[in-house]
Amino acid sequence: MVDPIFDYQFRLILIGDSTVGKSSLLKYFTDGKFAELSDPTVGVDFFARIIEIQDGTRIKLQLWDTAGQERFRSITKSYYRNSVGALLVYDVSNRSSFEHIPLWMMEAKRHIEPHRPVFALVGCKLDLVGSDNKSESRREVSCEEARLFAEENGLHHIETSAKTGLNVEQAFVLVAQEVYNRIQTGEYKVEDGWDGIKTGFNRPNGTDFNLLEAEAVHSTCC
Amino acid sequence: MATSDSEDFESADEGQNTPIKKDRKERLSSSNYTENSRELDHKTKKTQSSSTDTVKNKEEPKSSDGWDDFDIGDDEILVAQNAVPSNTHVLQSNKNETIDSNYSQDKTTKKSEETKSKDTGWDDFDDWGQDDNTIEDPYKPIQTQPTRQETKSIYPDIQEVTEKLANTTTTSTTGGWGWGWSVDSILTTATAGISTLTNQVSQGISTVLETSIGAPDPEELARQTAKEKEAKANSPDGLESNINTNNDKVDPKSTSDAFPFRGLISEVTKFVETTGTKVISGGLGTLETIGKKTMEVLQDGDPGLAKKRALLGLAPDEKPVLSQILREAKAKADEDDRIREEKKEAKEVHYENLFDDFEGLVHLEALEMLSRQVNMRIEERMRGLSPEKRQDLKETLQQVAELCEMPEDDEDDNDPSEDTFKSEAFHERLQTATQDLGLKLQFQPIVKQYTEAIDWLSSGGELTEKQVYKRAVASLAQATALSVELYHKAGEMLLVKPRRSTADEADALTQMTAVLTKHVSELATLFTEKLNELQTENTEQIHNYITNIFLEAGNSSTYIQNAFQLALPILQIGAV
Repeated sequence: MVDPIFDYQFRLILIGDSTVGKSSLLKYFTDGKFAELSDPTVGVDFFARIIEIQDGTRIKLQLWDTAGQERFRSITKSYYRNSVGALLVYDVSNRSSFEHIPLWMMEAKRHIEPHRPVFALVGCKLDLVGSDNKSESRREVSCEEARLFAEENGLHHIETSAKTGLNVEQAFVLVAQEVYNRIQTGEYKVEDGWDGIKTGFNRPNGTDFNLLEAEAVHSTCC
Repeated sequence: MATSDSEDFESADEGQNTPIKKDRKERLSSSNYTENSRELDHKTKKTQSSSTDTVKNKEEPKSSDGWDDFDIGDDEILVAQNAVPSNTHVLQSNKNETIDSNYSQDKTTKKSEETKSKDTGWDDFDDWGQDDNTIEDPYKPIQTQPTRQETKSIYPDIQEVTEKLANTTTTSTTGGWGWGWSVDSILTTATAGISTLTNQVSQGISTVLETSIGAPDPEELARQTAKEKEAKANSPDGLESNINTNNDKVDPKSTSDAFPFRGLISEVTKFVETTGTKVISGGLGTLETIGKKTMEVLQDGDPGLAKKRALLGLAPDEKPVLSQILREAKAKADEDDRIREEKKEAKEVHYENLFDDFEGLVHLEALEMLSRQVNMRIEERMRGLSPEKRQDLKETLQQVAELCEMPEDDEDDNDPSEDTFKSEAFHERLQTATQDLGLKLQFQPIVKQYTEAIDWLSSGGELTEKQVYKRAVASLAQATALSVELYHKAGEMLLVKPRRSTADEADALTQMTAVLTKHVSELATLFTEKLNELQTENTEQIHNYITNIFLEAGNSSTYIQNAFQLALPILQIGAV
C-alpha cells in the first residue's frame, strides 16, 4: 500500500441520530459499496479517501464516523474537537432524526469551539422516497423545509442515497471545497496542536530529496 | 517511544556521506595555500559556509518526516553524526548499527568522543593564528586527525611540514595533494573555460576574455608558476593514492582563481578561434580535442608537468581525456539515480506511513482523547474530596495501575502448532485472555490478517527478498494498527459498560497485551525465517532487512504497550 500524495488533510465528523445512515454513507463514499445490514457503530470508526477539488488540489478526507446511539453520547463528544467540518446527517424518511438536527449542531459548535467548522446538512436514504407519488409518501422531511433550515443557519444542504450512490460524492466535495475556500480567504489556517487541517506530509518526501540533490549538484559543477 | 525505521537508516547514511565529500573539498582547497596566499579569504568563507551546510543537514532528516519526531534517541545520533563531518567513528558506529543491546552504550561513548574531536576540529578552523605552536610536531597530529591537523599545520609553514613529511615513511597518504590537484584542476578549468568560450565565440572571443580577466601578462605568469611547481614537485613522492580522490571533486571557487587558467587563456583563445564554428556546434569529439590540445599546450608551457605526469604514473598516451571525465560524471549520475530509486523504495515501506494508512494512528489518537477526558474526570472527582478520601482514591488508582504491570516474559509455551493452526491458536489465546473483560471484542480482523500473512508466505510462489521485506513491514504495521484499534474499542466499550469489575478488566487487558506483543514478534520471526530461506547472494541486504524487521517489531510492541497505558485511566475510573 503506497501512500498517495495529497496537499491537505481535512478532518470531518459525521453526527446524527442512530440508524440515519452515517456509516452507509461513508462506506459508499470510500468503498463504493452498500451493505443492507450493518452493525451499529461503537464509539467512533474511521474512513479515509482522497478527493480532488476544483483547482486540482488533492485533499485527504479523514472521516470520523460517530455512533449515533444515546449510550455513546458521552464518549463521542470527546471526538469533536479536531474537526474542521461536520456533516449533520438525518434520514429523509424519519421525522425525528431531522428534528434533532439543531441539537446536534449546538453540540458540535460547543465542542469544536473556538474553531468554527463548516456544516453541511445531509439527508440520507433518498432511494426510499424516490420521486414518484406512491413512495413519496414515505418521505417525512420535505426537501423545501430542509433547505429552508439550511439557509437560515448558513449550511449547505444535500439529499443523498448510499444505495444508489446519488449525491454521495457531492456531499463530501461540497464540504471539502468550502473548507478549502476558507483556507484561501485566510479564515482557516493550519495550526499546531489542532488536527482539523493538516498539510500533506507526503509531498515533502519528494521535494526534500530534490533539495538535497540540487545542493549536491551545485557543489560539484562549475 | 517508537524506535527507528528504515527511513532513519537512510537519513543516517545521508548525513554520513555529505560530510565526507565536504571533507575532501576541504583538503583540496587547503592545498591552495601552498600556491596562493590570497586563498586565505576564500578558505575562511568556505569554512563558514560548510559549517552552515552542516547545520542544514542536521535539520533535514528531522523535517523530512513528521513521524520521526517520536524518536528522540535517533535524532541524537543524527545530530552527532552531522556535527562531525570528518570523524571516522561515525562510519564505524553506523556500520555496526544493530539492535544489539550494547549498542546504546556504544553510542554514548562514541558520541562523547565525537564531541571531543568536533571541538578541536572546528575550533582550529576558526582561529588559525593561535595554533602555530602545534606544528612543532606535525607528524603526531597527522596520525590522530589526518585531515584537520594536516590542513592546519600546512598553512603556517608549508615548507617545514612538507620536508618533514617527506622524511617520514607515511607520506603516501598525506603528502602532495597539491600536485595531483593541480593537474586535475587544469582540466576542470579548461572545461569550464571552454564552455564559457563557446558561448562567447560569436561575439568576438578574444576581446571579451582579455578585458574581462585582465591578467597582466599571462605568459609571464605561466612561467613563474611553472617554476614554482617544478620546485615543489621535487619534494614529495607517492602521489598515486591521491589522484583518485582528487578526480572526484574539484572546488569550483578555488579553480576560478587558480593560476593555470591565466596562463592558458591566450593559447586556448587562439585555439578556439581557429577551431571556429566546430566548437559552437559542440559535441563530445570537439570537446575532447580541446581537452587534448589543452594538455599539449600545458605541457609545452610547463615542462614540470611532464615530470608530474610521470610521477602520477600516467603514460603519455594515457592522458586523462575529457571524455573520460565525462564518462565518470555520467557513471556518478547513474549511481545517484540508483540511490534515489532506493530511497523512494524505502519510503514505500515506511512503517509509520503504513501504520497511518491502516488507521492505527487515528485510533491511537482517539484513544488518547478518551484517556485525557477520563483523566480529567478523575482529577475533578479528586478535587471534591476530603484529604483522607483523596488519599484512599489515590491508593485505589495505584492498585489498579499495579494490576496492569506487565508480567515477566515467560518462555513456557513454545507452541508447536503447524502453520495452518497458528492463527487459530492465536485467536484462542486472545479469547482466553479477554474472557473476563465482559466485552465482545472483534478479533476476526487481526486473526484474518495473520492467516493471510501465513498463506502468502507458504504459497510456494517465487518471492524476492524485497517482496518479503515489504510485506513484513506492512504486516507489522497492520497488526499493530489492528491491535491499537482493539484497545480503542475496548476503552469505548468499558466506558459505557453498565457494571464494572476493574480487577478482572485490568487482568484481561494485561493478558491481552502479552498475547499481542508476542504476536507481533511471532509475525516478525515468520518473515525473517522466510528471508533466511531465500537463496540469494546478497546476504548483506538480507541482514539489513532482518534487522529492520525486528526493529519494526519492537516498534509495534511499543505502540501496543502505549495503547495499553492509555487505557489505564479508563480501567481506573471503573474503580472510583
